[in-house]
Amino acid sequence: MIEPFTVPFMGRALAELALLALVCGPVSVFVFARRLSFVSDALTHTVFPGVVVGFLAGGIEGIVVGALVAGVVTAVALTLLSRGGALSDDAATAVVLTAMFSIGVVLVSRRSSYTSDLTSFLFGRILTVTPRQIAETAVLAVVILGLLLISARALVFRTFDPAGAAAAGFRIAGLDLLLNIIVALVVVAAVRAVGTILVVALLIVPAATARMLTARLPLMAVIGTGLILVAAYGGLLASWTASVDHGISLTSASAVVLLLVLAYLLLLPLGALRSRRKHGRIISSEARRSPHELVG
Amino acid sequence: MNWWDDALHRATAEVLLAGALAGLVGVHVVLRRLSFFTMALTHATFPGVVAASIIGVNIVVGGVVAGAIVALGVAALSRHKSQNTAAATGVLLSGGFALGAGLVATQNGFSRDLTSFLVGSILTVSPQDLGTTAVVLVVVAAVLLACARPLRYTGFDRTGAQAAGFATGVWDVVLLLAIQVAVVTIVPAIGTILALALIVAPAAAARQWSHRLSVITALAVTLGALSGLGGLYASSRWDVAAGASITLTATAILALSTVLSRLVRSRPTATGRLRAFPA
Amino acid sequence: MGDVAVAEAALRYAEVSVGYHGAPVLTDVNLDLVPGQRLALIGPNGAGKSTLIKSILGLVPVLAGTSTVLGGAPAQARTRTGYVPQTDSLDAAFPVTAGQVVMMGRYRRIGWWRPTRTADRRAVHEALDRLGLADHGGTHFGVLSGGQRQRVLLARAIAAEPRLLLLDEPFNGVDAVSQDAILSVLRDLSAAGTTLVLSTHDLTVAHELADTVCVLNRRQWAVGPPDETLTADTLRRAYGGHAIELRDGRTVLVEP
Repeated sequence: MIEPFTVPFMGRALAELALLALVCGPVSVFVFARRLSFVSDALTHTVFPGVVVGFLAGGIEGIVVGALVAGVVTAVALTLLSRGGALSDDAATAVVLTAMFSIGVVLVSRRSSYTSDLTSFLFGRILTVTPRQIAETAVLAVVILGLLLISARALVFRTFDPAGAAAAGFRIAGLDLLLNIIVALVVVAAVRAVGTILVVALLIVPAATARMLTARLPLMAVIGTGLILVAAYGGLLASWTASVDHGISLTSASAVVLLLVLAYLLLLPLGALRSRRKHGRIISSEARRSPHELVG
Repeated sequence: MNWWDDALHRATAEVLLAGALAGLVGVHVVLRRLSFFTMALTHATFPGVVAASIIGVNIVVGGVVAGAIVALGVAALSRHKSQNTAAATGVLLSGGFALGAGLVATQNGFSRDLTSFLVGSILTVSPQDLGTTAVVLVVVAAVLLACARPLRYTGFDRTGAQAAGFATGVWDVVLLLAIQVAVVTIVPAIGTILALALIVAPAAAARQWSHRLSVITALAVTLGALSGLGGLYASSRWDVAAGASITLTATAILALSTVLSRLVRSRPTATGRLRAFPA
Repeated sequence: MGDVAVAEAALRYAEVSVGYHGAPVLTDVNLDLVPGQRLALIGPNGAGKSTLIKSILGLVPVLAGTSTVLGGAPAQARTRTGYVPQTDSLDAAFPVTAGQVVMMGRYRRIGWWRPTRTADRRAVHEALDRLGLADHGGTHFGVLSGGQRQRVLLARAIAAEPRLLLLDEPFNGVDAVSQDAILSVLRDLSAAGTTLVLSTHDLTVAHELADTVCVLNRRQWAVGPPDETLTADTLRRAYGGHAIELRDGRTVLVEP
């Protein structure tokens, strides 16, 4: 069970995923709490043109820079559009996602390596991750975790009490932009190695699954990280076994995602039970102000 | 019919029909904020399509079954208010896509099929596909027209509709299935990720010009068809991937519409609150 | 009314508890309403007023006790019950006109697939006219003011000619003109035999409109005529000792 991981590329793959687990556990909690699942999905698609442009302009080195630029552009565009009121949030996200992705497709479709470029963008190349890429992921992970540590309290405040946070002097737009950028950084850190499919799953599934077990944010983050680690180990092992022992090629990224989703589905009944027990408390959302009302 | 023998002619007919169909369901997707759900649908039909082609069944059937599972899954999950629907949709999206990708990988026909699924292959549309699209367009239009009242009530005032005795769960499923059938039909032509653009952008643009559902629908259908035509033209003229150029055309139309509508009216309009109607 | 030996109860709740998933949120509800009676539900946020109204509509389960609405189970009474929800539970950006909203009240009669008849269109126009909005049939719902929207929702409810009318905080954020229009229509309806149940924070309205008041806060604390029921003592107990201020010259401040 350990033996496959003594093979260097498997060990590196696990190391890369472990780094991502550290980052994605906490970030996915915020994605969950702020309902940014669609935005995260959008970011995984919008970095594509950045990756392509970065590669065309600066080779392998340029990819991270290109992705970063695209990610920030997306974060800014989404923040602006949702405040401008021209489109509803989800329509704006849909449009930005598809427009940027199609720019990437246009750029890539003129190259002869079209299909393999697209495939590796979607699924990454976890099994060909180099020590240098692991180092780059580690640096980004440090930056991301650092940003999270500094802004965690403000972000949590804004999540659960936007009016109170605004009254306390926090700039809501700035905090929203910051979170979007943090998510963009995670996508950039991960996409080259594991591809967009896996990143989306890493940003959405862990917290959603952890929520079945607890409602406390720090615990959700820890459980989320743990889930990713287990899924990474299991997925890599499964794809190794399928390939080596049975001759079936099963992409590692798919295997990891499927294990995560399986965990979610298995814990779903548990989550339903927990919410039933708590449903006695009705939280009223009214807060009307009329001239003669009772305080209450 | 010789005209249909030309792939480009068929592609033209297909983009017109697909664009109209996309606009038709797009209105409801935009009104009810179902863009993410539609994205999940486009990804979730993937395993169904792959499984169907492995088994040897018609891929449209496979797509419909897979999409139906997602549609019903989301409908079921959204009844429990404690569930974060966005997260659940995201889970289904990534799970569905990973499943499809895994299935494709086992077949070793990985890259080519995957690519055409992702970005569409409008030029390989067959006369049968064309017929299917036409039939789906007519059926979906008929369903949306027949169910206009319950859909209007449940979209505007869900609790009120329930209080009046409407089975909102049933009507949700009807709408989600209509969207799903449309998605399964549009995706082979335009591609998974980009189909969303054709569904959302023309409808979002249409919404900026009217508060009457009938007008919005007519506009969305027209703009959708135009996006398809314009994109196909750009694609053949400049040798660019068709799905991508259709998407960019639809986005450009939306951008233009946004700018124009702001100029024509005195203030932003999407929420309708500030339109200058006679009071 | 004098010839009828026993007025059939419009609504009868005996020792009722309501709640979701077997967990009660409101208990000890006892109500006995006759046609034309006007009941106001008073209580703080989260007291269960909306939940009670929804249970009358059959949308929230009755966990204990017996509940009879218009002679039968709550869900069966829906076709004869009108409901006016709070305006912010709606999607105001939805492309509907005021006239279309009011027509929604007729949908059950028409059947969702048949065309509208002249009688329906006339009922819609009359309902709008009663609420002073006859000229706004074609206006987009979203551009109407809060008070106008509330009036449209009431018109929707009365277009179906209900025998029981339920209103959830109908006076919140409503301007004076709209409030007067709503009050006037409600009084007329009550005089014609429609039973009214409305929830409100506003004690003045309760005094003006209601002939019966029910004080709720997770359970029923009192029910009866306003003067007898809205006493400082009852309110203090029901509100758990929060500071409250009453109008009409009676001010009571209580230590929390």
